[in-house]
Amino acid sequence: MSINTAKENNLALCPECHKLNHLLAEVTSKKKIQCVRCHAFFYQRKPHSLQYTLAWNTAALIAFIPANLYPIMIIYSLGIGDPATILSGIGQFIDQGLYPIAAIIFTASIIVPLIKIIGLYLLVYRVHTGVRLRPIKHTKFYHALEFLGPWSMLDVFVVALLVAVVQLGFVTSVAAGPAINYFTLTVIFTMIAANSFDPRLLWDKKQTIESFKEENDK
Amino acid sequence: MTKIVNNKQLIACQQCDALYDKPELKQGQRAKCVRCGNVMAERKVNSIERSFHWSLAGTLLLVPAILLPLMGVTLAGQYHHASLLDCVVVLIEREYFMIAMLVFLFAIAVPVVRLAGALYISYSFKFNQLKPSLLHFCRAFHHLDNWAMLNVFMLGIVVSMYKLLDDTQLSVNMGLLAFILWLFSSTMAAAALDQDYIWQKLEDEFVD
Repeated sequence: MSINTAKENNLALCPECHKLNHLLAEVTSKKKIQCVRCHAFFYQRKPHSLQYTLAWNTAALIAFIPANLYPIMIIYSLGIGDPATILSGIGQFIDQGLYPIAAIIFTASIIVPLIKIIGLYLLVYRVHTGVRLRPIKHTKFYHALEFLGPWSMLDVFVVALLVAVVQLGFVTSVAAGPAINYFTLTVIFTMIAANSFDPRLLWDKKQTIESFKEENDK
Repeated sequence: MTKIVNNKQLIACQQCDALYDKPELKQGQRAKCVRCGNVMAERKVNSIERSFHWSLAGTLLLVPAILLPLMGVTLAGQYHHASLLDCVVVLIEREYFMIAMLVFLFAIAVPVVRLAGALYISYSFKFNQLKPSLLHFCRAFHHLDNWAMLNVFMLGIVVSMYKLLDDTQLSVNMGLLAFILWLFSSTMAAAALDQDYIWQKLEDEFVD
């Protein structure tokens, strides 16, 4: 089964308006193209996609460490502060018996960022080496990663709401901890990392591997 | 390799770059890539009409959703409530500038701009007032897709309600209702907009 791709036919798809653009003979695939329809500048494949993904991803991983070590929220009641990190906040929910909420927060603020970071590393590795590359599966996985991204912001919004609503002076008030900044950075970095990955590279790599195999068989 | 193909009759999959003849879609039909299963093109039913009305509803709900208090707490006789805008203002007062900026961007600015954009685009198509500047406008419009986080904020409201329910008296205000409706109509407005149709029409109108 061989499918014609746009790249083989000297065409490039505009990422903004999905218009197919002809590449001129002298223009190589690495050059910047301007879309004839929406005038956006783009490339046939995102340039240095793997490097950018790797860099943003590593930044996200680094920011994730202080995000978990520092307190994310400090609850003052009668003047006494009680700092809570992301994990200890989840522990409080479990102690109170609110298991569904604990599960939601645990998924949104620990599992999703970790899966995103590890998953993107895995995708970059697979595209680079071509080991056990299954593009259909990996494209779906990438789609899921992209969709999950914004949901990690949940914890930030919860803290922002609590800070604004719970302001009863001396009785009780809530303050945000330093971890919140690092956590938002993690979320934004993973979103940019997912954006810089180009799923078409998965298929390109598969095709080069297959054509290489065919040549060897001959 | 160097065969000459007419690129007006072709489309390519955004995810795996497979090339196809342009399908003739009827309303409500969608074209899927056989290689990776991605939906490449879709003709939505009554796209412009629906998008216009949803975004009109969203624009009306925008002001109450942002300004009316979402919820309030009562503890030891003291009452305090906060709206979406209050969240940002309080965060600025307490000098958490970064979170304040992000909450403002993701929960207020981007959704508002996106809604206004959907309204403008569907208005121009509905009343046939197409301008060349729409090409740039539509292009910029799609950059916001990833960064509107109203739905996440909604889940945040639910979670923080549970958190407050335990040791305070919680009251739900009108702002929450307006916020939910606003979330719903802005999601529908963006989902109803048919990209392929818009670009095709703009191309017929303005490109050569």
